[in-house]
Amino acid sequence: MTSTITNVQVANSTCSNYSKDRKVGEGTYAVVYLGKQLSTDRRTAIKEIKTGLFKDGLDMSALREVKYLQEMKHENVIELIDVFSASNSLNLVLEYLPCDLEMLIKEQSIIFKPSDIKSWILMTLRGVHHCHRNFILHRDLKPNNLLISPSGQLKLADFGLARSLGNPGEDLTSNVVTRWYRAPELLFGARHYTEAIDIWAVGIIFAELMLRTPYLPGKDDVDQLDVTFRALGTPTEQNWPNVSSLPLYNSLRVYPPPSRQELRNRFSAATEKALDLIIQMTQLDPNMRCASTEALLHDYFLEMPRATDPSELPQMPSKKKSEKNEPPQKKVKV
Amino acid sequence: MVEEMSRGNENKSDVKEDESASKKRVITRDDLYRRSSQFRMWSYTREGLDEQKFKVNEKGKSHALKEFAAALEKIRQTDETFNQFESELSADKLADLLTADEEKRYLIFYSENIIKLTNSFRMPTQVKATAMSFFKKFYLVNSVMEYHPKNVLYTCVFLAAKSENYFMSIESFCHPLPKTEPKDVLDLEFLVLSSLKFTLFVHHPFRPLYGFFLDFQTVLLHPETAIPNLKVEALCTLYDAAKKWLSEHALISDVGFLFSPPHIALAAMYDTNKKITEKYLKMKYFVSNTVEQKQEGGQSDNTKPPESEINSKNYELLLSTINECITLIKSTPKTTREDSTEIDKKCFYALNPERLIKKRLNKLKTAGTPA
Repeated sequence: MTSTITNVQVANSTCSNYSKDRKVGEGTYAVVYLGKQLSTDRRTAIKEIKTGLFKDGLDMSALREVKYLQEMKHENVIELIDVFSASNSLNLVLEYLPCDLEMLIKEQSIIFKPSDIKSWILMTLRGVHHCHRNFILHRDLKPNNLLISPSGQLKLADFGLARSLGNPGEDLTSNVVTRWYRAPELLFGARHYTEAIDIWAVGIIFAELMLRTPYLPGKDDVDQLDVTFRALGTPTEQNWPNVSSLPLYNSLRVYPPPSRQELRNRFSAATEKALDLIIQMTQLDPNMRCASTEALLHDYFLEMPRATDPSELPQMPSKKKSEKNEPPQKKVKV
Repeated sequence: MVEEMSRGNENKSDVKEDESASKKRVITRDDLYRRSSQFRMWSYTREGLDEQKFKVNEKGKSHALKEFAAALEKIRQTDETFNQFESELSADKLADLLTADEEKRYLIFYSENIIKLTNSFRMPTQVKATAMSFFKKFYLVNSVMEYHPKNVLYTCVFLAAKSENYFMSIESFCHPLPKTEPKDVLDLEFLVLSSLKFTLFVHHPFRPLYGFFLDFQTVLLHPETAIPNLKVEALCTLYDAAKKWLSEHALISDVGFLFSPPHIALAAMYDTNKKITEKYLKMKYFVSNTVEQKQEGGQSDNTKPPESEINSKNYELLLSTINECITLIKSTPKTTREDSTEIDKKCFYALNPERLIKKRLNKLKTAGTPA
């Protein structure tokens, strides 16, 4: 089979265009290398996906990643530079992004200015908006998947769970999104959901940037419901029509919705407009949550201070230190 | 959407222009489509598509001839009677390769098998349409004289199911297929993926068709019915019939390479019910309150001719595009079983030249020494 593959003159490149310098991570279906595009000397991350390893052929997440990244050229989405095949492995050449938002949040020596937070949320929303206007749901937004380029640009990465927005009537799985960033309709096992699940996740990330600690860290799926509703109130038929018909909606502890003052106390650094935007993005009823367009046009982005220019944003203090602290997968999360 | 559409699918040269102006302009749905891999890599003019097929056929022939020469050499070395009959065994005399036209008809026959197969698995329309697209793309890159369509077809369906989130285990996929092992399907997966140039996202006409169905209701029924006695039921019937039209006619044709999905969707509506569709388009173009007035970028341009003139021009252009699309879909030839059996035989020998040479050699041997 190998010989026939090399006969096909379709892949625009071969492994000879790239060097794989250093192994930086290994996952269930892929190995990640740091490398260079030899013709341009550009640094790249190469995700080598083993084929022939799995009973059912090429892995679904790998296919999704290729499928969606091929269509998603945008400043705030990780760039898929190239795809090539080499001796029965599929290689995704991705832009080299050494840092992610989770690393920055955890780095205690960095102080976030309000304008920095605005800049990261703005870039996140731009990337999300680009997905949504192409009818693509990311379905796994979290700080760890928001990568930062050396010039400070934030980019959405890891499209292994992404999918096209369902056709009318089509069932979707609710088992998506890392737990802490999972919207309430997913926690209730909804089979039909929309872009609003990504917006929820951005709202929770926004909160985390303010708090410098995860906003809704549930210990397990049951606890996640409790943590979420303790913070934002338990949904009822009044504030979310038909919520009680969702599969997992039962025997909930009833928490009252938080007052504006309680939220103000929680997010003491937030301006009123910042608070408004968080509230709009974390509406329990997905129909009430704002869309990416509304979020981008929100007054929060018009009031002072202006979002920090990406090149001026805080960076990790020293590369060596971060490499020691983080498991290797996190440095080049692709 | 309709206003943008008359600019259509024609050429890619204006993409650059769009990008330079994009700083100030609103990004339209059309702009987004132009950035899709489907538009960038898999859209052709009619001449371009024919040329590509011709090239692939030439590539297939030269591949088959190379294989033939290798097989001939092998038999020369192993069969001592070879030299005696050599003059009768040349490629000129023996090899009967598929013409571009035969290759085309052969593929249409197999395309119909994709529909049968995906129907038997009760796969959603989306999977069916994507499998068809993968299969057609594969043979815009490779010839049937290089890879026999039977297993390629299975692999395209299996890969399309995965790509469209309709996962099936390889065992349950192979189970109902005659004489097919998981290995036969999986071994080709990588080849298919690379032949697709690693692009898996396919825009089909079904979504825009649904969009038009909704917009037909808005435009033709509200605030008052635009056609006397038009009921919503009539639009439902039209929608269902147009969907069926797409599955039965458009899917198997090459229009996916030549027109944008909304064009194809409108063609389905138009050919199903000319009267309603024409009324809808006229309302969109000529009744001012239904046309979204905002021009791209928002500024007015005095040098442009009056809007009504532009609208008539665009309307005519759109209608002629739709008609061209319909004609093309309807002119897709049907391949009969006999026809395909004939081509199948040629294809078999093109892929297995050794069998062809041996068959001829045996015949010559039994007939005795050549004259």
